[in-house]
Amino acid sequence: MKKLAEVELSGFGKFPKAVCQVSRPLNIDEIRGYLNESSVTPRGLGRSYGDAALNEKGIVTESVLMNRFLSFDESRGIVKCEAGVTYKDLLDTFVLKGWFPPVTPGTKYVTIGGAIASDVHGKNHHIDGSISNFVKSFKILSASGEILKCSRTQNSDLFWATVGGMGLTGFITEAEIQLKKVDSQYINNKTLKLHNIDELFEKFEEFNEDYLYSVAWLDTVASGSKYGRNILYLGNHSSYNKLPEKFKNKSRERFIEKKIAVPFEIPFATLNKLSVTMFNAAIYMKEKNVEDYLHYDKYFYPLDFILNWNHIYSKNGLIQYQLNVPEEEGKEAIDKILKKVVAYGGGSFLAVLKKMGDQNGILSFPFKGYTLSMDFPVRKGVIQMCKQLDAIVLDYDGRTYLTKDSILDETTFKKMYDGLWQKWLEIKIKYDPYYKFSSNLGRRIGLCPS
Amino acid sequence: MPLLVLGANSLIAQAASANFAEAGHEIIFAGRNKEELSKIAGDFNIRYKVNCLTEYFDALDYANHRKFVETVFTISPELNYALIVFGYLGTQEKAQSDFTEAHKIINSNYTGVVSACELIAAEFESRKKGSIAIISSVAGDRGRQSNYMYGSAKAGLSAYSQGLRNRLFKSGVNVLTIKPGFVDTPMTYGMPLPKLLVASPKKVGKDIYKAMIKGKNVIYTPFYWWWIMKIVKSIPETIFKKLKL
Ligand SMILES: Cc1cc2nc3c(=O)[nH]c(=O)nc-3n(C[C@H](O)[C@H](O)[C@H](O)COP(=O)(O)OP(=O)(O)OC[C@H]3O[C@@H](n4cnc5c(N)ncnc54)[C@H](O)[C@@H]3O)c2cc1C
Ligand SMILES: NC(=O)c1ccc[n+]([C@@H]2O[C@H](COP(=O)([O-])OP(=O)(O)OC[C@H]3O[C@@H](n4cnc5c(N)ncnc54)[C@H](OP(=O)(O)O)[C@@H]3O)[C@@H](O)[C@H]2O)c1
Repeated sequence: MKKLAEVELSGFGKFPKAVCQVSRPLNIDEIRGYLNESSVTPRGLGRSYGDAALNEKGIVTESVLMNRFLSFDESRGIVKCEAGVTYKDLLDTFVLKGWFPPVTPGTKYVTIGGAIASDVHGKNHHIDGSISNFVKSFKILSASGEILKCSRTQNSDLFWATVGGMGLTGFITEAEIQLKKVDSQYINNKTLKLHNIDELFEKFEEFNEDYLYSVAWLDTVASGSKYGRNILYLGNHSSYNKLPEKFKNKSRERFIEKKIAVPFEIPFATLNKLSVTMFNAAIYMKEKNVEDYLHYDKYFYPLDFILNWNHIYSKNGLIQYQLNVPEEEGKEAIDKILKKVVAYGGGSFLAVLKKMGDQNGILSFPFKGYTLSMDFPVRKGVIQMCKQLDAIVLDYDGRTYLTKDSILDETTFKKMYDGLWQKWLEIKIKYDPYYKFSSNLGRRIGLCPS
Repeated sequence: MPLLVLGANSLIAQAASANFAEAGHEIIFAGRNKEELSKIAGDFNIRYKVNCLTEYFDALDYANHRKFVETVFTISPELNYALIVFGYLGTQEKAQSDFTEAHKIINSNYTGVVSACELIAAEFESRKKGSIAIISSVAGDRGRQSNYMYGSAKAGLSAYSQGLRNRLFKSGVNVLTIKPGFVDTPMTYGMPLPKLLVASPKKVGKDIYKAMIKGKNVIYTPFYWWWIMKIVKSIPETIFKKLKL
């Protein structure tokens, strides 16, 4: 039986919005039914920022009710689960058993299906790569209605087109994932307060080999002598024995998150130049050069405890701009971009800079180089500014991240992903010649006909 | 102590069961779709490390209820909690012109419960222990033109559970009547309901668990439905009959 709800949907950025027909299937047969009558867009928890999980010309199928664990090999840490299982489910179920998600985004409210479709990366990308490195296999409902098993050896073309393929190759139904062995719930963290980008790039080289997790917060407002100041956070999973006594008990207890909510969209823009400047300054002031132990939830998901924190961006929403530029000339590119952003003056509430490892899927975002992500409230002039950033990114042979994107046009996208999108499209057409899987994003950037 | 869930494929059932499983209770999932039930059982086993069993149960197959209840108490002799969740909203308009639909609504929400629950009640009564929880609905508190077929069956169910509570009290068996408001499940998906009044199955499941453990009599879940229904019930019939509800 099919049941649709008409909902005004958006991604986490609340921009853009679109009225969509949304279904929440309990089983795969229901999705097969939709495939017979219109185009389909898979959707997880809608934590992509733009329109990747929107489809105003067809049906959006949410995976949230297909969220069961299917098997777990406790000795090897291999879990098999349905696509709607979330990172929160993984953490709640496996951390106490000594297993951790091998690659995690900055929120635990992400589904496994969504993580694979975006081929997400975490703070360990420079060492471990993206999530697909740990996906042993998955099953996907393809346009023909068949369920295909994909791995490095089976339907491998579809495997590599699906990781990072933004839901345009089919509906992932289940996946088999290798978890990471850990000995405690804590991260041994080292904080380095740095004065400029030169220092940061030196520290990346000095420390990145020794630390599994490495990410820097960057002040995108400060100018003059404070220009480029940043804080580098380095971390490793702590062993139980090395933990300070006060954390030992907690490390063996089930973690329960306490939450607060931003109950409604704040009607005016909370984030103006002054508040962003003060916020950025406050972060820099607050941090010290220290080594400490942080619970994983605080370390990886510092904002999750505030439900709907995107509400602070007012109802106009936000644009998340994440770029990656090649290692060579990377510093120069980042410097140019930062100068542009500082000059724009809109500043970013949270800006994160990280060194990246190798590329996996055909359309996967990460490749060896540097990534910078920033968020800007949607207001007059911001799109033009991002377009100017696009030009710099292109100049340095870089690209932006589709799962965060809401502004790329077809021409720019095809330049950024040149050589890749053509290869991807060949596989797409092999498995989905009639573009049964399509989305607002896919049509906007010319991967699907409009 | 084990929990038996009738209509276990419901999200409300699974959410309530999750609380029991977290507290270490063994669970028997009973329902019509064995394949789904074994998936749920496998999932619970991984998440909560509890033993879960599954059993085929069709509320409308009255003839087999006795055998079903006997089996359940045989495979789980310590069984102490029974949660009766199954129900069927149906289509009011269809039920008005097609008695098969009306009959299905009445049987799925009322007759089926009576048939199965009496057998469980008898067993608990003879053991002088146990706890039964029955999901009725706020829809049973007052008949409305938009769903009185379902509402009247649930009204019957509320009265049934009330009487059963009265009877079993002296045997030390608790009976809980659960009256949820709007819950975000496949039953209501796509309906134009006021967003602020739609609760998650998780919230409702937690309320059910707490009430069962505490041995409560009647709960509205979320609690504010008690207030809403108090107001709805206080509207004089002369006015109520004119409303478009
Ligand atoms: C606060 C925050 C921090 C973040 N940090 C990071 C980070 O550090 N690194 C990173 O890489 N990303 C990060 N993200 C982005 C996020 O991880 C991705 O957008 C992820 O894909 C969201 O998953 P979702 O389940 O919400 O999927 P949605 O947002 O619902 O969907 C995302 C894409 O996946 C597809 N999809 C979803 N389910 C399926 C399925 N079953 N089968 C096929 N395709 C499917 C959709 O079609 C869509 O294209 C962050 C997001 C937020 C909000
Ligand atoms: N959702 C609400 O807003 C709401 C509000 C008040 C009360 N309730 C009550 O809460 C209970 C759970 O509802 P829900 O919202 O979770 O709805 P649901 O998803 O429709 O679940 C109903 C469950 O009842 C089962 N069922 C129906 N007929 C059956 C039969 N003959 N034999 C065995 N099982 C049968 C169904 O089994 P299958 O999976 O095999 O179909 C299904 O799992 C119901 O009693 C409902 O009336 C719900």
